[in-house]
Amino acid sequence: MQIRTLKDALSFGDLPASERIGFILFIIFCLIFPWIIKGGFAQAVMIQFLIFCLYGLGWNLIGGYGGQVALGQAKNVGMSAYTVALLIVRWDIPFWVCTPLGVLVATVESFVLGYFLFRLRGHYFAIATIAVSLVWQQLFINWNFVGGARGIELPLRETPNFIYMQFVSPIYYHYFAFVLVMIAILYMNWFRKSRLGYQLRAITANEEVAESLGINIHWVKVKTYCITGVFAGMGGAFYTVYYNYIDPFSVMHLELSIMIALMTMIGGAGSMWGPIIGAMILIPLDRYLGAWLGGRGIIGVDFMIYAMMVMIISAYEPKGIWGIIEKARRKR
Amino acid sequence: MALLEVTDLTKDFGGVAANSHISLEIEKGEIIGLIGPNGAGKTTLFNCIVGYHKPDQGIIRFKDKNITGFKPFQTNREGIGRTFQLMSISGDLTVLENVMIGSFCRTSDRRIAREEASEILNVVELEKDTEAYMTELPIATQKRVGLAMALATRPELLMLDEVASGLNPKETEEMVALLQRIHEAKGLTLFVIEHVMEVVMPISQRIIVLDGGQKIAEGKPKDIANDERVIKAYLGEKYAKGRKNRGSI
Amino acid sequence: MEMLLSTLISALQMGMLFALVALGLAIIFGVMNIVNFAHGEFLMVGMYTAFLTATIFSIEPLLTLPIAAMVGFLLGIASYYMLVRYLLKGPMIAQLLGTFGLMIFLRYLAMCIFGPDYETLEHGLLIGKSIKLGAVVLSYPRLGTAVLSMLAFGIIYWMMDYTRLGKALKATALDVEAAGYMGIDTERMRGLAWGLGGATVGIAGALLINFYYVFPTIGILFCMIAFATVALGGFGSIKGAFIAGLIMGMIIDLGGTYIGPQYKFALVYLTFFLVVVIRPKGLFGW
Repeated sequence: MQIRTLKDALSFGDLPASERIGFILFIIFCLIFPWIIKGGFAQAVMIQFLIFCLYGLGWNLIGGYGGQVALGQAKNVGMSAYTVALLIVRWDIPFWVCTPLGVLVATVESFVLGYFLFRLRGHYFAIATIAVSLVWQQLFINWNFVGGARGIELPLRETPNFIYMQFVSPIYYHYFAFVLVMIAILYMNWFRKSRLGYQLRAITANEEVAESLGINIHWVKVKTYCITGVFAGMGGAFYTVYYNYIDPFSVMHLELSIMIALMTMIGGAGSMWGPIIGAMILIPLDRYLGAWLGGRGIIGVDFMIYAMMVMIISAYEPKGIWGIIEKARRKR
Repeated sequence: MALLEVTDLTKDFGGVAANSHISLEIEKGEIIGLIGPNGAGKTTLFNCIVGYHKPDQGIIRFKDKNITGFKPFQTNREGIGRTFQLMSISGDLTVLENVMIGSFCRTSDRRIAREEASEILNVVELEKDTEAYMTELPIATQKRVGLAMALATRPELLMLDEVASGLNPKETEEMVALLQRIHEAKGLTLFVIEHVMEVVMPISQRIIVLDGGQKIAEGKPKDIANDERVIKAYLGEKYAKGRKNRGSI
Repeated sequence: MEMLLSTLISALQMGMLFALVALGLAIIFGVMNIVNFAHGEFLMVGMYTAFLTATIFSIEPLLTLPIAAMVGFLLGIASYYMLVRYLLKGPMIAQLLGTFGLMIFLRYLAMCIFGPDYETLEHGLLIGKSIKLGAVVLSYPRLGTAVLSMLAFGIIYWMMDYTRLGKALKATALDVEAAGYMGIDTERMRGLAWGLGGATVGIAGALLINFYYVFPTIGILFCMIAFATVALGGFGSIKGAFIAGLIMGMIIDLGGTYIGPQYKFALVYLTFFLVVVIRPKGLFGW
């Protein structure tokens, strides 16, 4: 059984050749990137791209396949990031011990919230997730134990340290993030063929019919939301050691949740490659455009561009860029 | 012991009794028809049994187990399958994948689910359309896919909601023949809900008639066709319809 | 005791404004079952409109009300015909993220034009004045806002019940298809609902600027308050929006005074959460 699961996750045989080639190119690109591009900024953008791939792949489960507009990914990222940071700062616990705990906290939060929130549907659910994230953010801003609005800074270590994941060279972070993304992609590859994947798509299409086919809608949604929490939690743990600093505005902010959702929507919600395509477009655009405009004292234009993209995508092609590609392919 | 046993079921919506004190029994292997004019409470009864509504009063037993107040997914797991008037699930999934969703109800193994789904698609004679997308198919075929999805959950009692609506006479005939074949091959118990009397008459062994939320008759098709109260319920409606039409001209 | 009294009065005054803000959201939701995430940004646009007109032409801020209403109306209409009309054809997720995109767009458009600074009006008929009644201090801008909010609310309420337009809107809300058969131009009604929603919240913005600062990201806060209000009152219910607005005012002001000002908005979100989980229909929902 386990071997079959692994085989399912590793087999991309049912995909068209073009997708497989694209995937291999993506892997090669990520592997050789740090050796070709030496610029510090470019490498940082690349790592951010990988983190957002991870976030997006996770959100895609509940938002894309599940059709539930959860706008609170940031709180799961934050839960895990804060757990890891606190454990390291206060008790000096190694990163590799903190991370499972951080992910656990993020997942438990998802479970408890999901259990209540999934009684709601559609817009009620979406607004409730926003409400909850805002409550969490305000709580963390006013909670001194976790550093309040000042946030938490991790102690710097003299030498590169594998136990606490502290390195000077970004290469280590690059490959670590890459491994996380690969795990996420393999999981997605298993997921889309699994019972859970089918049941979730059935729910998105028609809840009434799904229920009549013996699917426990509430439980499937809660389960998926927890898995989404795991992805966000892994991202949060990585974020903490990568930046060495977190505060309620960087990891708990609504803007982060928005970014994740918009990115996935633009790339193509409910498809395997959608979140990666979205991140590939938005993250470099965001960082380079943001840096360029910020240098000229213009703020906000970058977000206006994403907003335009999302409005156009929602109005004309809700399946995003991947939906356009698929349509063109089916026509041929 | 009856397969399904409904005792004294009552359901009202804001003071309007959609079902009042309905009792019925279905034996294993039977084909039962449930008929009645529009608004007779057929759909309410149906929804109470499969769990979309919770009855205000009364007991529903299935295989001697009390399933009153079960949720739809629970009644399905107990062995009650249902079809919808239009059951299309997703335009993104192929026919085979849609039916697999049903099979996944009983197994978590993708290979087994796939095998079972294609087997069932053979039964409903859709082996040619397995790779088609739902939105590309004509209504009659979509209805068959819906039937296949429900069958894939391996029900012991299959409840069919207006299988003939939207079908032309020839398609209806084919559907009736298909149902009969499934019934004979698998010994499946069928509960057929229709408001067109002509569809239920030829296949049912027994017919239950609802009107105004109450059971007004029950018996063999031939007796039902001659029952005075049934004729009144139906003719009354037709008569009223005729008058309304004339009025609007 | 005096503190409680003045808090209560202030809460009632704010509550009437919240009711007016929520009204637009309730109308739009009632007529076409879509949630406007950009509602708070409409308010922000109303506030900036009033702020700019009052400072540039140095006129009395209260006289900017019709201009803010007009701008809100046009914004609503434009949103409907250029975006929402297309969103309605798509799945739920597209509807939600579509108006969400509009929210982000307006928010950062304001950021781009005005920068992140807080702005307030300094001169005006009501601004900065207050009257002392016994131990209770009544601030003129809040009092004026409350009275005018109630007036605007009353007009809309009356319009919905007694004019042809209001009846057509209500009919569209109840059953689009049937309304269409009755000869109502439902497409126009939907556009009008967005226009009305925009106009009412525009007025609310022009009133709010009399005693509150404006900044580009103010929208989300009032949007959440409006969501909570509408959820509490029952989505689509106008009477519900009014009563829930008053309750919201109480929660925010009493909570801010007795629990701590930093938590007063967390209380709003908590209220929303509890309402939708415990009683999703709201007080007067259908």
